[in-house]
Amino acid sequence: MKLTIAHLYPELLNLYGDGGNLIAMKNRLNWRNIECDIVNIPLGKPFISSKYDIVFIGGGQDFEQEVILNDLKGDKTQNIIDAINNDVTFLAICGGYQLLGNYYKTKDGQIYNFIGALDLYTIGQSKRMIGDFMYSCPEINNQLVVGFENHSGRTYLGKSVKPLGYIKKGYGNNGEDKTEGARYKNVFCTYSHGSLLPKNPILCDYILQTAVSRKYDITLEELDDSLENKAHNFIANRLK
Amino acid sequence: MYFRKILSLFISKLLIKFLRLIGRGGTALPGKLALKIYPNILSDLSLGVKSIVVTGTNGKTTTSRIISTILEQASFSYFDNRSGANLISGITTVFIENYKKKPEYALLEVDEAAFKTVAKHIDVHYLLVTNLFRDQLDRFGEISHTLENIVKGISFCPKAVICVNADCSLLSTIGRKVDNKLIYYGINQPFSNTDNSLSDAPYCLFCKTKYEYTYKTFGHLGGFSCPNCGYKRILPDIGVNTIQTMTDKYSKVSLLINNDSLNVSINLPGEYNIYNGISAFSIGYALGIDYEILSNSLATFKGGFGRMENISLNGVDTHIILVKNPAGLNNVINYLSTLSKPFVLTLILNDNFADGTDVSWIWDVLFENLKVNESMISHLYIAGIRKYDMALRIKYALLQEEKITVCETTKQLIKIISNPNLISDTSYILPTYTAMFDLRTVLKKQFKLKEFWK
Repeated sequence: MKLTIAHLYPELLNLYGDGGNLIAMKNRLNWRNIECDIVNIPLGKPFISSKYDIVFIGGGQDFEQEVILNDLKGDKTQNIIDAINNDVTFLAICGGYQLLGNYYKTKDGQIYNFIGALDLYTIGQSKRMIGDFMYSCPEINNQLVVGFENHSGRTYLGKSVKPLGYIKKGYGNNGEDKTEGARYKNVFCTYSHGSLLPKNPILCDYILQTAVSRKYDITLEELDDSLENKAHNFIANRLK
Repeated sequence: MYFRKILSLFISKLLIKFLRLIGRGGTALPGKLALKIYPNILSDLSLGVKSIVVTGTNGKTTTSRIISTILEQASFSYFDNRSGANLISGITTVFIENYKKKPEYALLEVDEAAFKTVAKHIDVHYLLVTNLFRDQLDRFGEISHTLENIVKGISFCPKAVICVNADCSLLSTIGRKVDNKLIYYGINQPFSNTDNSLSDAPYCLFCKTKYEYTYKTFGHLGGFSCPNCGYKRILPDIGVNTIQTMTDKYSKVSLLINNDSLNVSINLPGEYNIYNGISAFSIGYALGIDYEILSNSLATFKGGFGRMENISLNGVDTHIILVKNPAGLNNVINYLSTLSKPFVLTLILNDNFADGTDVSWIWDVLFENLKVNESMISHLYIAGIRKYDMALRIKYALLQEEKITVCETTKQLIKIISNPNLISDTSYILPTYTAMFDLRTVLKKQFKLKEFWK
């Protein structure tokens, strides 16, 4: 058994330890005897959606956004939309999350059109939303997810997407409506750095299961997550 | 106004004495209070003092300590903020302590975000910018903002001579933005450890094209050039042409200074410390100090406050190395992977404000590289406020679990690592900023270490 993960723009979207999500996914697959390849898709390299089981997009600095938008002008945008419609699993963090939406309106009113795969948009503001945060996820029995958010964009969800979770502590999508992240088909979006997956093993396995199920008829066995839970509980207890 | 100045000095000096008396460093608070009472206090006291400022992300303290050795050996009259309190408050404190002695120079390590404010008040004659890396972004925002802040700070000191790392594509842009006299230093060859860490600046700041590299030392440092707009590394005025010897105590390099060549020994291990050595050299060069004094200072320098500090704990040979961001910790890991004798490694991770409240940076560190030399790691201890996050990172780096111990408290940790019956190998302790202070406080009491503000 083997899954292949595409890492989109690893050279640009790599802030705040987001790469830890790849380390977590790869190890947790390997520990269940499932091989895992990680393929980098940097600027200029075509993205052939049929090759990948999971697509990971991290967060980046504003400076590099324009470079990415130019690169997305070719086939890449359509290929990403196709992959999503074919139920490929996506995990997109912060800037990567915003990129999957319709557009980003800067605080000066300038509009950048994004991929448009998910019905959501983001509006820039000057105040950054920074800090440890926590939300509950309905899909995993309202388990708490902990992470660190650091964004100035406020994201608003359209009707066809659901939030990934509901804020218990912190800002989330926009600091107003208590929603956090977005869910659509097998796409998981969140503002959570942290890294997200190592400290939230239940969510990690839930995401991995969507990709595994698309290919194999197996259920991921449980792992010894005592250390993961200690790291999770430490920050969850502080936020409670 | 005069009354406020006198009052401000009186109260802050009293506070300094009081804090020392009760065993606190008293490095920032007095200055903070003095500025509240009399906001011009720093501008007033620094009048006529030639400031030498060291800023940048990594290497500030080590470099300042080397410069300090240079100034001593060259018999300059100066004072410094050697405790590392590098915000405007700490800098004000040292001016308050020293204004009566009227030294000619002030050697100041200044936080890269605080530089633009500090530069407004003091008379910067020489500025050294070491490098720019991602560091505590939760505090500063983006790395390009830090660069803008430094350039803004330079606008307040148009006459300052600036020493800049030629290998840093971010900092080298300063040459196009200011009219100051610039001295470039750099390393003209790659480091021996292949560095596969992420670049903090892969794209040209001027035209957003991907840089090409003829070689890299570490991170984004190296022989960069932009294939589109032509922005590229400038051949440094002071360049390391070859790294001749590397040992676990020092390195020997041959320098090319304009057309002169000079062999120098840098009394610190680790290739990244070559940058600290030559950046200090460049300030000495700017000050017009003889090569002989400069190379002698580099060869005899002894590490200070937590930066490659070497102490003995009940006979356990212990090295404390401050770690605060991925670039710095990756360098230390590369250094550890060159060791040929078994060693004990301790990681202490805190998430107080001064450490950066976001600990996700540990996932940008290539702990996987420790595997290369895993047989030399006799044991790994983990402590600090976020010990479980660190332990998790190590678990996912796939290091042997039986070699890892998580310590609940600093006391418990120190009990182990200062026990020569348990620790027979050299011990390396890698704390974050406030973890180092905690460690020092306990060690100071138990082992009578030097007070850190001296």
